[in-house]
Amino acid sequence: MSDTSRTDIKAAPQREQTPYIEMRNITKYYGGTIRALHDVNFRINRREIVGLVGDNGAGKSTLIKIISGVLQPTEGQIFVEGKETKFSSSKVAMQNGIETIYQDMNLIDCMDIMRNIFCGRETTTSMGFLDLKEMQERAMHLLKNEVTIEGIRSPEQLVGNLSGGQKQAVSIARAMFFKNQVLLLDEPTSALSVRETQAFLNHIQRLREEGLSIVLVTHNIFHAYQVADRFFLLSQGECVLDVDKSETDIDELTKIIVAH
Amino acid sequence: MGETNARHSGARALFNRVHGLKSGNILIVFVAIQVIAIGASLAFPQDFRYLSTSNLQVLFRSIPTLGIIAMGVNLLMISGEFDLSVGSTFALASLVMAKLFNAGTPLIVAILAAIAIGIMIGGVNGYIVVKSNVPSFIITLGSMWFWRGIVLLVSQASNEAFNPGPGMDAVFTASIGPVQVQFLWFVAIAIICWFFLERHKLGNHIFATGGNVNAARALGINVKRIKMMNFMILGALASLSGIISTTRVNNVSPIQGEGLELQAIAACVIGGTALMGGRGSVLGAFLGAALLFTVQDVLLLLRAPGYYLRLFVGLIIILAVVLNEILRKK
Repeated sequence: MSDTSRTDIKAAPQREQTPYIEMRNITKYYGGTIRALHDVNFRINRREIVGLVGDNGAGKSTLIKIISGVLQPTEGQIFVEGKETKFSSSKVAMQNGIETIYQDMNLIDCMDIMRNIFCGRETTTSMGFLDLKEMQERAMHLLKNEVTIEGIRSPEQLVGNLSGGQKQAVSIARAMFFKNQVLLLDEPTSALSVRETQAFLNHIQRLREEGLSIVLVTHNIFHAYQVADRFFLLSQGECVLDVDKSETDIDELTKIIVAH
Repeated sequence: MGETNARHSGARALFNRVHGLKSGNILIVFVAIQVIAIGASLAFPQDFRYLSTSNLQVLFRSIPTLGIIAMGVNLLMISGEFDLSVGSTFALASLVMAKLFNAGTPLIVAILAAIAIGIMIGGVNGYIVVKSNVPSFIITLGSMWFWRGIVLLVSQASNEAFNPGPGMDAVFTASIGPVQVQFLWFVAIAIICWFFLERHKLGNHIFATGGNVNAARALGINVKRIKMMNFMILGALASLSGIISTTRVNNVSPIQGEGLELQAIAACVIGGTALMGGRGSVLGAFLGAALLFTVQDVLLLLRAPGYYLRLFVGLIIILAVVLNEILRKK
């Protein structure tokens, strides 16, 4: 087992494949003076779950917002399959196969499941009118055959009436529907019960087996440890650990997190 | 006995179906008031002339002025914003049209200029709101006074006559039986708004923007553009309402349209539109506007003093908001 007193950056072994997303030397300042991230190198490989951990204010949310195109870095580069790409908006990030599910799950409570799934990417006729029949059939197929959500009978159910776990599942269903490559999950278990959390963790493992890459942002190292292949620890805007699961254990991770 | 039970369960099923609609509550209240008013009119035809041709003409003439504006206010409120300057826009657009026409400008150019003024005011309001992030309530409160000041300045606080001739009267204010053409304009605009809100992708984006602005932004929706668009649509509709109203009375008063902004918000709220955005329906706003005038009309027919109107409208608004909130929580 590795030395548990270590607090320096420990780089996970570089894999031979080109990462799907690679971020190099990312620095982010807010208002020109407040440093949120400093010289961070982060990558997301294919079919990998990365546990992005760190305390409040560590820079996790800023990093997620940069990957999802909501924020632009002050310095640094982003590569998609080795090709430099500027994520100037969340739309560009989505076009590159990145879907972010925030704590509030990006759902609109006053709309039904079908309209939520297609929101921003509606199936339309030439004049921009909704092709409701097509959308309904596709949503029904998705909920029947690809992502079965307990308790959901119809895509016309109002999202505001669903439980936390069901909402989480709808968010993931939306990401899957549009065949995204990378799922960024920001504190996905914070609103879930114990049972829902376990079901959710099982679900994201299945998604990895189906070919998706997942970044799991969480305070809860025990949840991350159950499913992640790699751990990336941020502290005060800097990377202090980037390690494969095979090279560490829960005790070591806990000690490093507490030390920072 | 069995037949009675079947009839009751059928009525209950219909009630539940209507109640389940987005605008089910207002529809039930509206129908109930109509049934009572029509019943009273049939029972006392001499004392309560609700169904008389002249009364129906008054209703069909009055509702569109507020109703057309309420259609735009509804879109804007669903996207999470307010516009208190619509009454001033209504007056300025009318004044510009009348002044241009009286100065010899072709009528169609004067009408288009009035619509353009409304779109411009809406665009300026929207631009300041989305750029400054200051609540639209405050920005448009200032805008309301500013444009009203411009109206008083341009008109020198005097009325402006507007007599465009029979052609324009036929397009905007003619009668077809008891129904006035302006009511048909209102219905046509409501149908267009319904298709836009419920069947077009931009309608979906309006609900998303008002329902959860952060989620909408994260889903790639340009929420600023959506809000700007709604401010401009409302400006255009406020102008159109001003044009129709001015054509009807052949005159522009510098204080015309005062209070319309709050009445339009009231119509939408009564129709179930949420003050915080994300919820609302075209049918609800339509019936909300119609209900306000129906209550006013019934009170006039009962020869109630004028202050009863405000009292009842105030009560209806409070009841509507409380009822909608209770139903939302359920």
